[in-house]
Amino acid sequence: MIDEKALEEIVRQVLEELGSKKQEAKVETKKDEGLDPARDFPLSKKRPELLKSATGKKFTEITFEEALKGNISAEDFRISPETLLMQAEIAEKVGRKQFANNLRRAAELTRVPDERILEIYNALRPYRSTKEELLAIADELQHKYNAPMCAAFIREAAEVYERRRRLKGME
Amino acid sequence: MRSKRFQVLAERPVNKDGFVAEWPEVGLIAVDSPNDPKPSIKIENGKIVEMDGKKREDFDMIDQFIADYAIDVEMAEKAMKMDSLEIARMLVDINVPREEVVKIASGLTPAKLVEVVKMLNVVEIMMAIQKMRARKRPGNQCHVTNLRDNPVLLAADAAEAALRGFDEEETTVGITRYAPFNALALLIGSQTGRGGVLTQCALEESFELSIGMRGFTSYAETISVYGTEQVFVDGDDTPWSKAFLASAYASRGLKMRFTSGTGSEVQMGYAEGKSMLYLETRCAMIAKGAGVQGLQNGSISCIGVPGAVPSGIRIVAAENLITTMLDLEVASGSDQTFSHSDIRRTARTLLLMLPGTDLIFSGYSAVPNYDNMFAGSNFDIEDVDDYLALQRDLMVDGGLRPVTEEEVIAVRNKAARALQAVFKKLGLPPITDEEVEAATYAHGSKDMPLRDVNEDLKAATELMNRGVHGLDIVKALAESGFTDVAENIFNMLKQRVAGDYLHTSAVLDKDFNIDSAVNNPNDYMGPGTGYRLSAERWEEIKNIPQALKPEDFDK
Repeated sequence: MIDEKALEEIVRQVLEELGSKKQEAKVETKKDEGLDPARDFPLSKKRPELLKSATGKKFTEITFEEALKGNISAEDFRISPETLLMQAEIAEKVGRKQFANNLRRAAELTRVPDERILEIYNALRPYRSTKEELLAIADELQHKYNAPMCAAFIREAAEVYERRRRLKGME
Repeated sequence: MRSKRFQVLAERPVNKDGFVAEWPEVGLIAVDSPNDPKPSIKIENGKIVEMDGKKREDFDMIDQFIADYAIDVEMAEKAMKMDSLEIARMLVDINVPREEVVKIASGLTPAKLVEVVKMLNVVEIMMAIQKMRARKRPGNQCHVTNLRDNPVLLAADAAEAALRGFDEEETTVGITRYAPFNALALLIGSQTGRGGVLTQCALEESFELSIGMRGFTSYAETISVYGTEQVFVDGDDTPWSKAFLASAYASRGLKMRFTSGTGSEVQMGYAEGKSMLYLETRCAMIAKGAGVQGLQNGSISCIGVPGAVPSGIRIVAAENLITTMLDLEVASGSDQTFSHSDIRRTARTLLLMLPGTDLIFSGYSAVPNYDNMFAGSNFDIEDVDDYLALQRDLMVDGGLRPVTEEEVIAVRNKAARALQAVFKKLGLPPITDEEVEAATYAHGSKDMPLRDVNEDLKAATELMNRGVHGLDIVKALAESGFTDVAENIFNMLKQRVAGDYLHTSAVLDKDFNIDSAVNNPNDYMGPGTGYRLSAERWEEIKNIPQALKPEDFDK
């Protein structure tokens, strides 16, 4: 329904400009912050002191007044991996395991630039990549972005795509 | 000679609808296809090695994804041994809390879930939805689009829809390159009508993500999944690519849900002879396994298919029910024209409106049918007073509130002027006072003066190239004197830093308080429990402006 080429071009340009900065790698541990969903959720109202953006700005300092003064940048609206892990903890404690794991994978992906995320998504579509290409992406996620959960997920996809003949050249 | 009676009947709207007999070989069957698998499970060393009669080595992609991600192995053995009738009765037993059913359902295979739900009649399905909906308060979503992608009209309609009570607003485009303007107009309009309304722009997956990243939208929904591997692949995705996309959204602090629906596999020609409900249950389980917080289903754009077969509309409600049993937010469809008959389309909606779902429509057309770019909806803006009367007649919260002509005119005008100011600040093609006036009083795009489409499209592309962010919109509005709208948009952007609204069934009220299945879970256990209209909300629903009051009779 859409002119894909034009669209991709637009997206590419946008993402280049957004240019997410590479951050220092840290491993997402499943450490328990001792959060209690009944007492601490929503974090923005009940535990705002725990929150900060991916740029390190305190949640409580991200105010309308500061934004108008020019002290807030677009990058300050990015969620941090720590916040996603706290939300994962809340999700787990209300019995939502799969959702919690999605948030943990997301915490890893905060370190991957926008453009690269879209490229990896496209590489995961059927018949786009060889097994080696997918495994290379997994290694990149593991080592360059310290994203072991996502890496394992891509390796698993490579196996499934091979078994079900959905790799590049198998159409 | 023809019967005059039958001649009259032949002219009735219902006889313009399509009906077909069941045809299991191509999947034209709502439930219980002879080709549907029988429930079974075998677990070895914590891994599912057989599911619904199929051995692991024969699993297709979807089977494997469901077996490894969607089913709780610890629960499975016990839950699969339970009698399906017993579980079905738990769904309608007011003494069994929602959590208990959710726990059991987490260990069920697709075939078993179908076997449970098919034992319910339509009233029982509604009773079960009332209990199993994740969030206590029901809500509603709307479509805001128009035939010409006129941004001024979009802003005015978005503002009116927010005032009318919708929790979420969804737009899409006629011309793709208009997308940035549509998203922008929806954002400004919605936040003029009421702070906290979530907005989305339905487009190709990558573009949708990129426009969310820059703060023009706050959630996404049109991430489609399918029930057979062939259709999934034809849709150019796999469960793994879609699950990766789900994590990508969350990594940018954006709420999202998947979309699926009965009939899509038939429509795309690869139903494998399975029933619609069985295939749709697989979709709901893919959503569960991927870890998205919710699912839009209820046949969606394929409603003509289940709508044509026996028991089809019952099964469409059953797929919404299965979504809630999997502990997912449900945006329950009713979002495409499926019948010429007002009676049929009302009946179809009542199945969801009466029990209430997280988002009863996904969405209700907040514009006239001719302006709805999602191929119409089951209800549109011309039905809104009927809908408000239904809420009042039946004492049911359908998510909408009565409004006066004066307040609608005022809010439409403000939204159009706010957009006019932002266009001016950002150097976009000017919005004239004449356009603002037209949008203020318009019913649809036919009431709007024409814009220079080429200029708009050029500017829309440039807007993206310039890297304009939601924060720039906040500043432009504040500098133009629309401080309250600016602050609302700022608060929408701030949501993504906290991530609270990523949670199941989360929406925001006008003060940006989170209302979700975490802090407001559905605790229905019969009369006197669960969601009840507050005195304040009932006053609001009762007081439709058309109702005569005692003082109107005074001489």
